[in-house]
Amino acid sequence: MNWLIINAVSWILFFFGAAFPVLILLKAIGLTGFMKVTRYESYHTFYYRMNPAVKIILGIMVMVVASVTIWWIGAIMTIAILLSYLTLKDGKRKFITGMFLTIMTVIGTTWAFAPYTPYVILQEAFHSNHLTALWVWPSYFTVMGYQPSLTTQGIIYGFQISMRFTAVSLMSLVLVMTSTPSQVLRSLNKVGIPTSLTFSLVVAMRTVPRIFEYIDTSVKIQFMKGLGSNAPSILRPFYMLTGAFSGIVPVIVFLVRGAKDTAISADTRAFRAYSKRTYMHPMTIGKVDKMALSAVILIILMTVIVVMMGFGKGISYNG
Amino acid sequence: MKALEIQNLKFFYMGREEPAIDIEHLSIEDGETVLITGRSGGGKSTLVNCITGIIPHVFHGEFEGEVNVYGKNTVKTPLSKLSTDVGIVLQNPETQVLNYTVEEEVAFGPENLCLESNDISERVRESVDITGTSHLMERETYTLSGGELQRIAIAAVLSMRPKLLILDEPTSNIDPEGTAKVFDIIRKLKEEKTLIVVEHKVERMLPFVDRIIVIDNGKILLDIKSSELSHYVEKMVEIGIEVPIHFIYAKQNGIDSEDMDTIRERLRQINMIPAPPKRAETSRVVMQAAVNVSTKAGKKLVDGEIELQEKQILAIMGRNGAGKSTFLKGLMGFLDIDLNCEIQVELDGRDISREHIIRRGKEIAFVPQNFDLTLISKSVELEIAYSLKKRKVKNFMERVDKLMDMFSLSDLRYRDPLSLSLGQRRRVAMASAMASGVKVIMLDEPTSGQDYFHKQVLGKELTRIKEAGYSIVIVTHDSRFVYRFADRVVVFNEGRKVLDGTPESVFMESRQYSILPPSDFILRSDEYELVNH
Repeated sequence: MNWLIINAVSWILFFFGAAFPVLILLKAIGLTGFMKVTRYESYHTFYYRMNPAVKIILGIMVMVVASVTIWWIGAIMTIAILLSYLTLKDGKRKFITGMFLTIMTVIGTTWAFAPYTPYVILQEAFHSNHLTALWVWPSYFTVMGYQPSLTTQGIIYGFQISMRFTAVSLMSLVLVMTSTPSQVLRSLNKVGIPTSLTFSLVVAMRTVPRIFEYIDTSVKIQFMKGLGSNAPSILRPFYMLTGAFSGIVPVIVFLVRGAKDTAISADTRAFRAYSKRTYMHPMTIGKVDKMALSAVILIILMTVIVVMMGFGKGISYNG
Repeated sequence: MKALEIQNLKFFYMGREEPAIDIEHLSIEDGETVLITGRSGGGKSTLVNCITGIIPHVFHGEFEGEVNVYGKNTVKTPLSKLSTDVGIVLQNPETQVLNYTVEEEVAFGPENLCLESNDISERVRESVDITGTSHLMERETYTLSGGELQRIAIAAVLSMRPKLLILDEPTSNIDPEGTAKVFDIIRKLKEEKTLIVVEHKVERMLPFVDRIIVIDNGKILLDIKSSELSHYVEKMVEIGIEVPIHFIYAKQNGIDSEDMDTIRERLRQINMIPAPPKRAETSRVVMQAAVNVSTKAGKKLVDGEIELQEKQILAIMGRNGAGKSTFLKGLMGFLDIDLNCEIQVELDGRDISREHIIRRGKEIAFVPQNFDLTLISKSVELEIAYSLKKRKVKNFMERVDKLMDMFSLSDLRYRDPLSLSLGQRRRVAMASAMASGVKVIMLDEPTSGQDYFHKQVLGKELTRIKEAGYSIVIVTHDSRFVYRFADRVVVFNEGRKVLDGTPESVFMESRQYSILPPSDFILRSDEYELVNH
């Protein structure tokens, strides 16, 4: 009996790690919630007035700082960026969506590291040979790369690692939500990236929200046709996920059919006629950009100081 | 000067033995306005692609002959250089609009031409003025209605200042109000540019065009002055092209006139006014539905109700943004979670308002406008069997066979649904939606983007399904289709139901809601003339 319980709970925990974050996200914000955080909306606050190139620099800085400093600096940046979502259009909703995305990133990353990280790494990271076991996996789980037990230190380690990702994920979404593809194109062209390359990015930025919208329709139609009709309602998010996978092929085919028109539309309007383009509103560096760049410089200086004070990479990464 | 000159043009798509287009000679003078019409798949789009240079620059294949636009050979001249001589507006504005904001979209072309920012601004201003879209400049393109988006697509091409403008079925995806505005733009541009308009709506285009060219099987079947159309009515109908109904009756009864009033008067004199289409008798109510949708901020979007009878086709009409599709989506539980939606649905006297869409879908089928998104299985058979398998219906193959037979899909049983033609794909989507034994079928804009021939096929299919015992709700802009095939019409305006009745009674008053009555109805209705004169 004991053997059965251990196996059952272990497999539940295994699947929890793989699917739980995505399922909770789907339940909380729906597929259209993803559409909202991957689509540009006009507004007037500072992010919207900022040059996209500056936003990209900010994003790179956040990534670098989160990578080279102790985890709580990443956590502080995550909170700060998340709070700045309140300044966006429909800020409250985007803040909540961003919060869910962050929580799920934390759970997903923690679970991706906690059961796998070798004990020797944990011992090195926590400067202690004593690890607290929370759950002992069945022995055959080691075949999947699991350590014999799930430890408190493994979970803490996973949590700390997740702080490397959360801030940069949120910052990337800021770029997508507050810059039009054309603005990004202008900025990237200005630093010499060829138009044909940046155009792919433009098309992607325009297409990604549509993918979520179309998959949402496909999933709902599948539900109407009986997907998950014999399963308890608690399992519906699972079915939503399988429905989303099934919907990928028709959505891609649908988009590819439309892509022909997109290509015609661009080519018949002289796209790539010249190696460069001019712009109706050339991108400039304004007051907001100068402030943001000052903040970037400040962050760099503070990072150097923090690292010199011994708050550099607090834990090793090779897990 | 010749705007267009084509000599011995043949184009073969890759792997095809028959040419998609085969034209010995065609020329269009500078300043002419030409209508190109014909059935879908007849070669119209291939022809315009050859004129714009899209063939052979973007689509490759075997190209023979010569196409010159304002003296420039389309094969030898790069596409970017041709773009200031010839511009094209495509059928679906959603796929051709690239940018997030209206201003960026209209400026896209001039920016590619490396113009100074002042010149770009001037062109943008000029284009939005012509298209009457200057008030939309600050908007995001994804918030626009289909009609607004199409006008932006036209403005975006006009900003290239092409001498020859091609509009490839510019009104097939938009509502009557949007269509009227696009026709207004065509009227304005007629004085300034050479225009080629590819359209199925021959009747609507007649006042603007100098010439009509009919393309079928890749060849020019007719090349006539627009004033000569009435002499070629039979041939056009034979090909499957929608022509004004009064022209057909005039021709059939030897009346030498193109004027609707005169033709009707003469038909009345000889007692030949055609009978109106047969409508279903009043029967028991199958479904009563009320939908109330509002934003989180409290703004009401839809507050309407419908009543559907057994063996009835009910059409929901209204201008874009009137709430038709939102009503249908609300009813089916398809709306964004950001919206508040209250529904009250009684089906056969049973309240199903609180049921999840999994259960509601067992009794009501929904076919969205983008029905391709619903085709997830590897074969037609599996697609139709999908819901029966999921709902664990025993001996389901019997029902699958019956549905395949009903929708003439038996020969396509093992084909991938996504590889079929448009009409076949729609039939698979409908059969699959109906498989679990529904009583009510709802179709969102099934006529959108379809030519006359395919609309007739759809109408006959729906009539057959109705006669088999089903009740059908369609959302459509096509008043001619509604007049011919619907039993009842509901008109929505600003989220509310404003008209409800037979097509005859509704079309008497529908003009105030931008729904133009079809000529089929006007020809038969003396009363309409009395009211509207």
